[in-house]
Amino acid sequence: MKHALILLGLFGAVSAAFAAAEVGNPAPDFTATDINGHTHKLSDYSGKIVVLESYNQDCPFCHNHYRTGAMQELQRDLTAKGVVWLLVNSVSPKYPSHRSPEAAKKEWNSQKINATAWLDDSSGKIGKAYGMRTTPDMFVIDQAGVLVYAGAIDDRPSPEGDPRTARNYVRETVQKLQAGQQLAVSQTKPYGCGVKYGS
Amino acid sequence: MCVRRMLNLVSAAWFCLASLSAQAAHTEARLVLAAATARPGDTVLAGVQLRMDPRWHIYWRNPGASGMATKVAWQLPAGITPGAIQWPVPEKLPDEDLTTYIYTNEVVLLVPLKLADDLRPGPLDLKASVSWLECDVQCVPGSAEVEASLGVGNETKPSKDADLLHAWQTKLPKSGEALSARAWWENAAAGKSRYLLLEWKSPTAASEADFFPDASEEFEVQPVTERVPAESGKIRLRKEVKKLAGDWPRQISGVMIQQSGPARLAYEVNLPIESPITIMAANTDSASVTGLVAPSLWKMLLYAFLGGLILNVMPCVLPVIALKILGFVAQAKDERRQVRNLGLIYALGVLASFLVLAGLVIGVKAAGHKAGWGMQFGNPQFLVLLTALVTLVALNLFGVFEINPGARVMDTAGTLASKHGPAGAFFNGVLATILATPCTAPFLGAALGFAFTQSAGIIVLMFVVVALGLASPYVILSWQPAWLKFLPKPGVWMERFKVAMGFPMLATAVWLFSLIPLHYGKRALWLGLFLVILALAAWIYGEFFQRGRAHRGLGLAAALALLVGGYLYAVEGQLRWRSPVPDTSLAGSLKESPDGIDWQRWSPAAVTQARALGRPVFVDFTADWCLTCQANKRIAIDVPSVRAKLKQADAAALLGDYTRLPDDITTELNRYGRAGVPLVLVYSKNPNEPPQVLPEALTPGIVLAALDRAAR
Repeated sequence: MKHALILLGLFGAVSAAFAAAEVGNPAPDFTATDINGHTHKLSDYSGKIVVLESYNQDCPFCHNHYRTGAMQELQRDLTAKGVVWLLVNSVSPKYPSHRSPEAAKKEWNSQKINATAWLDDSSGKIGKAYGMRTTPDMFVIDQAGVLVYAGAIDDRPSPEGDPRTARNYVRETVQKLQAGQQLAVSQTKPYGCGVKYGS
Repeated sequence: MCVRRMLNLVSAAWFCLASLSAQAAHTEARLVLAAATARPGDTVLAGVQLRMDPRWHIYWRNPGASGMATKVAWQLPAGITPGAIQWPVPEKLPDEDLTTYIYTNEVVLLVPLKLADDLRPGPLDLKASVSWLECDVQCVPGSAEVEASLGVGNETKPSKDADLLHAWQTKLPKSGEALSARAWWENAAAGKSRYLLLEWKSPTAASEADFFPDASEEFEVQPVTERVPAESGKIRLRKEVKKLAGDWPRQISGVMIQQSGPARLAYEVNLPIESPITIMAANTDSASVTGLVAPSLWKMLLYAFLGGLILNVMPCVLPVIALKILGFVAQAKDERRQVRNLGLIYALGVLASFLVLAGLVIGVKAAGHKAGWGMQFGNPQFLVLLTALVTLVALNLFGVFEINPGARVMDTAGTLASKHGPAGAFFNGVLATILATPCTAPFLGAALGFAFTQSAGIIVLMFVVVALGLASPYVILSWQPAWLKFLPKPGVWMERFKVAMGFPMLATAVWLFSLIPLHYGKRALWLGLFLVILALAAWIYGEFFQRGRAHRGLGLAAALALLVGGYLYAVEGQLRWRSPVPDTSLAGSLKESPDGIDWQRWSPAAVTQARALGRPVFVDFTADWCLTCQANKRIAIDVPSVRAKLKQADAAALLGDYTRLPDDITTELNRYGRAGVPLVLVYSKNPNEPPQVLPEALTPGIVLAALDRAAR
């Protein structure tokens, strides 16, 4: 009897259900094709910092970062430091903002995008695995593959003006990761337009 | 800055046209004043009127998951101070996973302008830059320079726009101060998500209710709103809050919305968030409790006592009750004091076991886990031990061996006396408690549901009261042995009755054994074989040690050897009882027979999904070890009439299997004030209605009536 009651006390170690893409947890792995037909697998970038950018230039918030050149600058600075920067375009083909690979290549050149690659996610698979809600919604994955930042690109939710005046959370996160410092901000509320998933 | 430059350009363009209004792509902005002339010291109501093209919208002060709140930047002459924007109640736009709060067609944002006492008379130009984000499928930022003129003089004269502004004033949320609104956390802080309960008084019934939160950088109130049962005259909502940074908020502000008949009422609130305990304590003195939630302590103590009392006649406890009655018959002839003492010791056994249970519940809760009534039945090792124990009790009743270790040859009366000695009485109390846990009786569900959310002191108090309820019939009988004269006289029938009672006990063992394959798969066979070895050992022990005349030591050694060998080989080696197989249950239909109910696995998402389709939803939270649940299923759920009604109402049938105590179901049970299964919920096809919570013990009539209401 006593035995049974002791055992009774032992259980209760019911673990919480594992939720997808949570800051502090390993980032969900994915495989995707970029607009040039190359395949990218997140886990292949293990050991490097990876930035995911939920992208749609028809969104004025996203567009403002490119129109002012601030986003290209950030992409250039970070990729020069060994960061992998992946654009994730999850706009479904049912919206006019969807880009075919040809249109995407044109946009890549005309906008002088400096990211590592533009991933076609028109199925919304990556977007939903990460819970991308807006464009731009940013994610930073550390060298060990752990999602360390999710949310807004900066503290200036506006479709106008110069983003360089704002506190850029992505730049800050990457700098601190590379300097081995404690992160100050790990999650913020993303701003912008809806992603325009297919379903 | 870029904005300013652009705005200047825009304003310059329109300045030339000397227009008071400005048109962006799809939204037109205009500044209107309630007064044509005003006196110094007055407050003049100003309004920024925004008119959108069809299908286009702009955003509320909290845009929601995307978008941008409209901004007004004033350029006012000295002596005029603008107040904050007063926002009319927006619409909630659920779009994919993004919910936003928007205005369509037209909105007037109201701003009180305070004129200084020393303002000089004369005409004044009031200007503002308005910027917004307008969206249909695409979003476009828009902005406009707007202006209006105001005469300052010695009289206040309304303008032609006064009526428009006053009409929009009625669309502002009212003050929520008279609502006695409160907000509290449903659960303790854990992780990044937490549930917030909001409650307010509503003298009229509300067909819909919602809460539009203010925006925050630190946390996010999720758009999904759940209506949960509340006391009559109150509305209670449940909202998920996700934390982004910092501590959990202590304050929540926003607009409470309710649809009462044709009227859409809205109230501005700013509430401190209370802890669950203070709310419960505050509610114990409210007398008008009708629901299951937030009941008074006294009522719950009464329920606990009644529940404990009723447990005596629930199927799981009946074999023990039979033993007790037998004990009383045997002892009726004994000394009164002895009888009383045994009654008290039995009560102590019950009480002690309940205190252990209370301690476990407190411990499990303190460790941050969920606790539930009957939770030990989800533990495979506990099941193995209990199956063996109940088998032994059955063998004992058959007379294979005696419990008293020193007992040798005894007559019938002596056997019973030994069994109902102090140790036996205490053991009976413990056994009654253990066997009672898979049952919940009427009243008990509500009482325990309440207890499990309380502080440690109240948990102990509630468990003690249940224990008193369970033990009370015997304590009373043992103090009034005169009442026992209604029972037959002791005799040979007692021995027969005792053996007969071994069969329900054996049936209990079979039932417990039927739960084993769930945890051990095919290896369960080895437990069955061990039970046979155990029976053999018990027989050798009884026959050759307890009743034997010679070589008694040999008998004991043989029994022990069998027991240890059987344990090591069958239980440790083959059953591997310390490593149960993991849960391999699959999603999809859980249909038990071709014409049975088409059960789907329960999840909060499954409920939401079915309700979104306008279907009624029938949810049965059940567990294999819950006898009350099994009885409900046989009698009132999986019966032809209910099956037909479910089909006719196109209801979704969802099954929440609590056999292995999943955390999400514990949370759901707690929400409805239950500590364990059964819990049957019936959601109406109207998605705004809270679900009906059915009683613990069901009849087909209750289920059919609930389904009828839900399909209406």
